[in-house]
Amino acid sequence: MTSSPNRRWAIITLIGCAAVVFAVVLFTGLSRLLSRPAPGTAAVDPVVAPPAPAAAPVVPKIKATLYFASEDGLHLVPTEREVPLAEGAVAQARSILEAQLSAEAPSPFVSTIPKGALLRGIFVSERNEVFVDLDPAIRTAHPGGTMQELMTVYTIVNALLTNLPNLQEVQILIGGQEADTLAGHVDLRRPLRKNESLIQHDAP
Amino acid sequence: MLVIGLSFLASAQAPSITVIAREGRKPLPITAINSQDYVAVDDVNAAFATTSREDRLAGGLTITARGRSIVLTENQNVVSVAGRLVTLPAPPLRRDGKWFVPAEFLPRALSAALDVRLDLRRSARLLIVGDLRVPRVVARIDAGANNVAVTFDITPNTETRVNQQPGRLVVQFDADGLDLSIPLVPQQAFVQNITPGDTPTTITVTLGPRYALHRVTNSQPDAGSGRLTIDLMPATTDVAPVPAPPAAAPDTRLVIPAQGPSTGLRTVVIDPGHGGDELGTQGAKGTLEKEITLSVARRLRTLIESRLGLKVFLTREDDRTMPHDDRSAFANNHRADVFLSIHANSAVRPTVKGAEVYYLTVERAEAEARKKADENATTLPALGGGTRAIDLILWETAQARYLEQSATLAGFIEQSLRARIEMSPRAVQQAPFRVLVGANMPAALVEIGYLSNADQEGQLATASYQDQVAQALLDALIKFREFLEH
Repeated sequence: MTSSPNRRWAIITLIGCAAVVFAVVLFTGLSRLLSRPAPGTAAVDPVVAPPAPAAAPVVPKIKATLYFASEDGLHLVPTEREVPLAEGAVAQARSILEAQLSAEAPSPFVSTIPKGALLRGIFVSERNEVFVDLDPAIRTAHPGGTMQELMTVYTIVNALLTNLPNLQEVQILIGGQEADTLAGHVDLRRPLRKNESLIQHDAP
Repeated sequence: MLVIGLSFLASAQAPSITVIAREGRKPLPITAINSQDYVAVDDVNAAFATTSREDRLAGGLTITARGRSIVLTENQNVVSVAGRLVTLPAPPLRRDGKWFVPAEFLPRALSAALDVRLDLRRSARLLIVGDLRVPRVVARIDAGANNVAVTFDITPNTETRVNQQPGRLVVQFDADGLDLSIPLVPQQAFVQNITPGDTPTTITVTLGPRYALHRVTNSQPDAGSGRLTIDLMPATTDVAPVPAPPAAAPDTRLVIPAQGPSTGLRTVVIDPGHGGDELGTQGAKGTLEKEITLSVARRLRTLIESRLGLKVFLTREDDRTMPHDDRSAFANNHRADVFLSIHANSAVRPTVKGAEVYYLTVERAEAEARKKADENATTLPALGGGTRAIDLILWETAQARYLEQSATLAGFIEQSLRARIEMSPRAVQQAPFRVLVGANMPAALVEIGYLSNADQEGQLATASYQDQVAQALLDALIKFREFLEH
């Protein structure tokens, strides 16, 4: 399945708009908005979008560790970012993951998440396993290759498990279903633990 | 097979059962009567703080244990324990004014009266008091011309540690005692003897003159038991060096000596990654991973068949979509001795280049499968519609058993590739790769280069680069075959 370029641009546009309008609004409403049919608006590059207005009501933030690909392209660099504080593990997990999925990487790092990756849902089991449900668009948008696949998968897994240490394991679902793999290599049929070996520990 | 109970305390004296309790261990003498093991009631009293009173008129004996009475009658197989009747394999006897009961009396009657678990291991002559961990350990020696494997089958599975000491290896078990069965060890060059160790939870392997190094492998043949294998090997200098062919030209290519029929490596399955609708990754100039992998796999097959004479099968011969399970099932059905999955890589940075080798991280998958098996084996989804639950468990844990060999294989591949092509800074890694999980043999996934790098995209499409990769993988298989055979 391939998504039309129009639709992808529309989604990117929506992310850009959402970044502007909803930067200080609760992130929990974001994915619902994004999953609506995209209106036919002109494409706006999210990079050149103006910064979020500062006069919005203050939403409490917490510092969270997000991951980006290192300069050498072989490691994940932990980077501190502010994300909205949320009530409870599920809402906080969502807040962190949405920040990770949409975050622009600080120079000189690169995002490991394909553009247009959307979070459909997130569940935490009684055994503290997290189930992350991603929109199938991530599969078509992913460039493939084991290294890129490992980086994408473990960015998601590590971002959740580093910031929410009560959580044990992360299982990635795609389109609401258990997935074999994202891009043909990493076994997604079972929950994954944090991967320390990919993390660059001497990062600034 | 010589069976040794851990009765070394009393081994020089009369035969006895070793009683292993939390407080320590002590011998309980046994007497053979009518080819049955009997114990004297006086010894039982001393060992378990029971008392006994004889009723001569009735021809009976009452043993009192923790306020409960056991009533015995001479020559009667049935005894009464606090009013309940218990049968014994042989009757209590009275000899020379002393009472004797068969050893089975201890777990069947005394255990109920004392309200404590007494586990009699007849062959090892052990009596385990309470819930102590006393695994059964059966040792085996497999001697080859140039090496010896010492194997311990351990039930239930128990953690072990192998410590090297001058002239010997000491195997330490994480247990309270051992129920040991050790075969007679024929004197030979690698092992002189296997004996119970200096402490009750160790075994000593006394080494012979040809021993130089060893390798320890842990595996789990079934859910309940573990297997520890210690391979004892000679110094590498001990192996006669392969004489160089007299007319060998100073050629940089590897010269392959004539090989005899192999025992350890007969069949290789090569898996060209992706295929069909699943393109894999793609270079900027449009080079497709699925085409490169098939081309390299074909070159490697030709090399292996012509140089080593092994059977080689490809999981796909053409450009077709193939599910992961079919790939590993293909290797399992062909009883492959090695499974190699060939891939080409992609990175977020176009500068990243070089080859990488992966083998499986399995700890979680293994734990998961075991947990599911404990919960309810029938809840596991059936593969291919008809697979029984037990097969699926083995399938899911298949690669776990070969992890150490897969690590060795990955190491050989890395060395051989490094000699011929550029390696990535992350040359050998472990990852939970889907295609490796179900492979029931040593398995590795080889990333032969980065299509996301412009130079490498050009290289990967050339015959010469693909030949170098194939030749390196052949070199690695030769090393791995030697490793399996020595």
